Amino acid sequence: MKKKKILLLSLAILFALFIVLEIIAYILAWPRTLREGLLPPEKPGRKTSVARIQAENLSLQKKIQGLSPKGIHIVIDSGRNILHLKKGNETILQAVISCGSGSILEEPGGKRKWIFDTPRGEFYVKSKITDPTWVKPDWAFIEEGKEVPKNQQERLEEGVLGDYALGFGSGYFIHGTLYTRLLGRSVTHGCIRVGDKDLKAIYRASSVGTKIYIY
Amino acid sequence: MIMRIKVLLSLLFLFCILSPCAAEEKPAPLKMNTRLKEELALARSPALYFIFDLGGKNISLRSRGMVLQKWNIESLRSWGGQPPLEILTVIKKSALFAPKRKEIKPGEADEQGDKFELDALELKDMPSSYAFYIDKGIYLYFRPKPRRFFSRVANIGHIFVWYLWIPLRNLTFEAKRKPFRAIEVRLGSREDCQSIYWSFSEGIKGLFFSP
Repeated sequence: MKKKKILLLSLAILFALFIVLEIIAYILAWPRTLREGLLPPEKPGRKTSVARIQAENLSLQKKIQGLSPKGIHIVIDSGRNILHLKKGNETILQAVISCGSGSILEEPGGKRKWIFDTPRGEFYVKSKITDPTWVKPDWAFIEEGKEVPKNQQERLEEGVLGDYALGFGSGYFIHGTLYTRLLGRSVTHGCIRVGDKDLKAIYRASSVGTKIYIY
Repeated sequence: MIMRIKVLLSLLFLFCILSPCAAEEKPAPLKMNTRLKEELALARSPALYFIFDLGGKNISLRSRGMVLQKWNIESLRSWGGQPPLEILTVIKKSALFAPKRKEIKPGEADEQGDKFELDALELKDMPSSYAFYIDKGIYLYFRPKPRRFFSRVANIGHIFVWYLWIPLRNLTFEAKRKPFRAIEVRLGSREDCQSIYWSFSEGIKGLFFSP
């Protein structure tokens, strides 16, 4: 009976301690606004100073807006596999595409490793190619379980990239596909696959230097 | 004794109920000025960046000042001070069921007619409840609005974490004199949460802005 009492008392003390700790924690963690010390205080009486800041804000907003593209540009949503061809704020074409699968390939022996992601950020069209030939990189042979050829001619494969390709650096292209049923799914090795009709329109609208935004 | 416990529990319950959210008010010009200066610095770089607008209740992913995608926030709650108005970095993404990349086995071609199996990491594979650890001790918890039975049950667990564990965690940070801020963001749908997890890569920089 005494043991039971001691146990109950200990539990009650522990619980009370927990409650006290929680109350202290609540007081310390209670949401508060930004400490004003981080910003210089505003003086409401000084109209000229406020007006100056507001004018500067307008100028800063213009500077930020000035950085965004005005002409033709491409915006790619790699998650939803959608490409937007835009002119300023207006979307002139929306296409279903295929982006990188995110899979990993490791060379037997563990020497090299590839992650098949579509890169993200700002890029620009570096090259425009009609009837492109795919120069198969090393990973394509390794993935197929074949030996990497020494002869460059053995790397060339025609007809797999569609009618057009837009290069945007580091071996990445916006190109056509034979696997149109997979458009809308993340299946590529990092390149962006587009259906024939949309690819033609994108190729015609863009030029070397056209900005590409991928997220 | 039981009476006292009841009173303490009622007090604790009252604290939970009264937990405030971010208030909406017009941003002061000076604060806006700081925000614009910081955003201009971000927009000058080719990298993607985010703007977390606590007052406007939205998160946007941007590049060169252009909004690439915007997500509306259903509700917000926080512990600790508001994040400082300066460029911050997402250091780590953390999820209970983090997506795993699939490994390709050499020689096993993945595009074989009828036997085709997709070996890809897609938007639908992303978690819908997760946390971002941002520098300056900011913990950002993302959760969708619970709609189904299981998500409602999981939400009860999260309520305990939010109201009991996080304030205690703050206490340990206070003891170490380290900053700690926790913000819980509830988005309208599971897809929105998955989309943010997909779009925000570790290392992305951005701003938290509150009026």
